[in-house]
Parts: sequence; C-alpha cells; structure tokens
Amino acid sequence: MTDTVDSPETSPWYRRIGPPTRYQWMTLGSVACMIGAWFLVTEFGLANELFLPHPEAVFKSFIKVATRGYQGSTLLEHVGVSLYRIMAGFGLACLVGIPLGILMGVSRSAHAVFSPAIEFYRPLPPLGLYTLLVMWLGIGEESKLALLFLAGLPGIIIATIQAVTQIDPIYVRAARSLGASRRQLLWQVYLPGAGPIILTGMRISLGFVYTVLVAAEIVAATAGIGWMIWDAAKFLLSDVVIMGLIVLGLTGVALDFTMRLIGRLLMPWTRRQRSVP
Amino acid sequence: MKLFTKTLTALAVSAGLASAAMAEAPKTVTVGYLNLVNAQLVTKSLGLVQKEMPGVDVKYIKVGGGGDMLRAIAADQVDFGGLGNPPTAIGVTRGLPIQGIMVLNMLDYVEAMAVRTAAGIKSFKDLKGKTLAAPFGSTTHYLLLKALADEGMDPASMKILDLRPNDIAVAWSRGDIDAAWFWEPNLNKAVKDGGHIFMTSGIMASRGYPTWDVGIVMDDFAAKYPDYVKKFLKAECAGIDFWLKNPAKTAEIIAKELELPLADATRMMKGTEMVPCSKQLTGQYLGTAATKAKSGFVETLLSTSAFLVEQERLPKQMTREQFSDFMRPDYLEAIVE
Repeated sequence: MTDTVDSPETSPWYRRIGPPTRYQWMTLGSVACMIGAWFLVTEFGLANELFLPHPEAVFKSFIKVATRGYQGSTLLEHVGVSLYRIMAGFGLACLVGIPLGILMGVSRSAHAVFSPAIEFYRPLPPLGLYTLLVMWLGIGEESKLALLFLAGLPGIIIATIQAVTQIDPIYVRAARSLGASRRQLLWQVYLPGAGPIILTGMRISLGFVYTVLVAAEIVAATAGIGWMIWDAAKFLLSDVVIMGLIVLGLTGVALDFTMRLIGRLLMPWTRRQRSVP
Repeated sequence: MKLFTKTLTALAVSAGLASAAMAEAPKTVTVGYLNLVNAQLVTKSLGLVQKEMPGVDVKYIKVGGGGDMLRAIAADQVDFGGLGNPPTAIGVTRGLPIQGIMVLNMLDYVEAMAVRTAAGIKSFKDLKGKTLAAPFGSTTHYLLLKALADEGMDPASMKILDLRPNDIAVAWSRGDIDAAWFWEPNLNKAVKDGGHIFMTSGIMASRGYPTWDVGIVMDDFAAKYPDYVKKFLKAECAGIDFWLKNPAKTAEIIAKELELPLADATRMMKGTEMVPCSKQLTGQYLGTAATKAKSGFVETLLSTSAFLVEQERLPKQMTREQFSDFMRPDYLEAIVE
C-alpha cells in the first residue's frame, strides 16, 4: 500500500525469541563503544570534570535524585511532570493536526486557508514564540503546553497532507464506485492508506516536542526533568545535567518505541511488506 | 597550593621578564559585564580600558546574570567578568579557573523585593500562600531564603518561582505574581505597575548579609598578562572615581547605556554603592594579600557557600583557605598607592 516497507521500524525484533541477530549485536556494540569511550576519557582525566563528569558520578547523582530527590521532587516526579506536559502537548497536536492535515490534503480550499499561518510560525524559534505565549497565557501550565503543542503541530500536519495526497486515486475511485460514503472513505481508505506516513510524521513531531521541553520548563517551573537540567546547569552540577539528559533521552526512546508498537497493532498491513532480516 | 605555585610562576615571569612581558600583549581583551547599574558602564562608555591598552582590541559582552556569566567563564569566552556572591561561591566550588580582583559594587536598594500593593503584604508572615519570584541562584534568591529563615518562615508555605528579571516583569504585569526580589532596571517596572518596595538588599546588608559583585579575571589571562590585569584595574578604578566625582554626568551615561529616563538612572545609581579602590583593600572588603583570609568578602563567600550546601545546590563546603586563594587583592595593591 505504501513505499515505506523495509525500514527498520517494521522489523519485528521485539517478537523474536532466541539469540540476538547480527544487527542487534551492532546496536549493542555501538552503545557499548559510546559508554566505553566516556569511561576512558574521564578515567584518564582527558576531559575537564566540569564538562564531562565520570560515569560513576552521574550514576551516583541518579541514585541520589531517584531516592532523595532534586529540590523537592524525586526523579520519578520530575519525569512524571514532564511526561504529562509532553503527552498533553503532543496528544493535542495529534488531535488537531491529523484531522486538519486530512482536510488540507483532501480539500484545496482548506489548504489555501490554513497553510499561510502554519508556514509562517513553523520556522520561528521556540524561545521567541515563548515570550509571547507567556505574555498571553501567563507563567502557568497553559503557556508550557501551548509551546509544546505548537512545536509538535506542523510536523504532523505536513506529514498528514503528504500522506493523504500520495494515496493512489484508484483506491478512492474504486471505493466510490462501490458506493462508499464520505465517512467510509475516511475510515476505509484515507486513514489506512495514510496511516504509516502519519505515524512517521508523529514520530518526528515527538522529537520536536522534546527539543522545546527544556525551553518550556525554564520559565517558572519548579519541577520537570527539563527544569531540573536547567536549574542544575545554573549551579554547574554537570553530573545532574548529564543524568537528566540521559533520562530524558531514554523516555524519548521508550515513547517512540510505544508509538511504533501501537502503529503495528493498528496497522497490521504494514507488516506484510517488511523484508525479514 | 596549586594556585600558589601558579602565582609564584606568574610573579617570576613578570619580574624576570619585565621587558619581555611589556612587549607581550594580548590581541584582544574580552570583558563580560553584568546587565546592572555600576561603574563598569562608565568605564565602558568612556572607553577607559581601551585607553589603558592601546593596540589591544577591547570587546564588551553584556551578560544577563550570574548563571550566564558562569557558563561564559566555563566556556572560556571572557577574560574579565563580574559575579555576585552566590555565583562566585558556585564557581569557586566547581573549580572554575578564576581569581577575584576587585569590588565592582555593593548592592543596596538597586536590588529589592517589590510587593503588589493590592496583595496587602505588610510583613514576611503575610507572604504565606502567595506567589513569589526570584532568579534562582542569584544574590536576591539567596537573600529571599535568608530573610525567610530569619523570620522563621517555611519557604514551602508559599510558591517561589524561578524567573529571570525580564520574565518577572512580564509575569508581574499580568498579575501572576504577588512579590518578587530582583533588580533594576526591571525592578522599577514592577514598582510603577501597582507595587512598592518591601525589603531591600541594603537592609539585608545591615542585618549581616551583604551582597556584592566581584570583578574576576581568568587564571590563564592573569598568568600570561599580569600587567594587563593591572591596566584593567586602573581603568575600572578611574571609572569608579568618575562615578563618585561626577554623579550628574554618570547618570547621563547610565541613562544612555541602559536606555532609561534620566530620573530613573539617577535613582538606580543611588541604590548601588561604589567603593573607591583604595578603600577596597580594607578588611571590610577585599583586605590585602596579608589580611585577605579574614576579609569581609571571604566571610561572605563562606556563609554563602554554607547556605548553598544546605540548599543542596553545592556538593561540598570549601574552606576559608580555598576562598582566600581565590581572592587576589595583590593586583589592586600594586596600582593603589
């Protein structure tokens, strides 16, 4: 149905039971190399401790923040607050972006009406936008969620438009000639056909949402993993900064993995076209 | 100890190769200055540093606050900088390669806590349940928590937000916060917009919590160009003297530099105490090379870092010797006669 066939995202390694494949060994090896290099560089004093602390120091700060907390909240609470903000902002972006993208992909007039606003704000730097959002919405959660929402929205809309417009018109005509209603067209043709590309757009958008998280939590937050990183940086606590970045990165990987999993459950037809490694 | 041997080498180099050192000049000198009201604005505006160093390209970089200055220092982007006492304690504890060489300013009511008049805050007890703001890690955040502790108030009984001065001004104008401890020029916006001054950093100084900004130089620069450290100090001292002798002209300079009305610049000037360089060597401020360990600045750094350790913002308490090693009044002694 689509061309996005044998990308690694569709490989079903999580279902596989048995020894790791060659590719999994390569992944493990690359991770091990990065950590190994980190160990060596810090062990032999090649890096200033202020910029790159020893892995042990980072691990210790992880244990400390996880058990005793950082400035009044434990690591779990910081992660929880940030994940709530990310999920709310991103979820809202999906709820608005996917329908709007389909509309803009199907209807030329909708495209003409909405695209100027989206194209205009899309390249604006988030911090510039944020000052304005704070003025409009205040220093509470609203402005933070709005920033995350706006960061996630364009990627989803653009991917959805792209996904809808590349659907083979034969499918649409065939469904129409068989008497499909508008609703049936949406649910039986457009969404299934566009699904895989929309999912890719969502994954890229989630990345954008992550990039503005620290910016969103700079203003008047007292919890959140982005705030923790920002606050620790002010006190030059680089072990906490690096620990926070690693935790943030891992939550991103976990969310991305979840999205791929959901995508595969909702769109089993994409699995058919994979090439088995 | 390391600093001591470094100093010895530096002294040997400057003494033994005095003529060579004269010839050896840095290509550029980068001065990071804090966005606040002090005589550095005068020195900058009159080009005094440049006059002391003909042939050297003198660059000025405006830095928003202590946190940004620490990052600029860590990234080796400045030769000279300025830091308030909490960022200094942080920088020294984290081993930044810096030395304190002069008093930039003592903070009086140029830093103050503004409260919204409508919020009816008459005493610290009234802050309970209110929303406050201060830039975390700054002099004012330090004083806010000190003042609350002295009044026996639990900081958890109110909402204290981390906002930068310009964000405080925005949040204030929207009515999101009831009180904020920060500094000019943004402080004045809050006062004009339905607020009044509730507590000043000057009052806290008289209670035994002085706050100040110290001029710093990077270790490498000082070791390589000790004469240029002295030239820099000469220029800054001249700026301070100009400030003290010509208040009217200074106000004009500050109004121009910060794009403020003259009346505001005049008031802000009065809220900052400038210390003439000869007085900086007394025990109340830097002390001399012989007396620095017992100087007022080392005392303040000790109590500031003890406070930050208690707040879990610093991993360890530095000793009196370590803070004393950081302070280097000897450059100033060499030019003040």
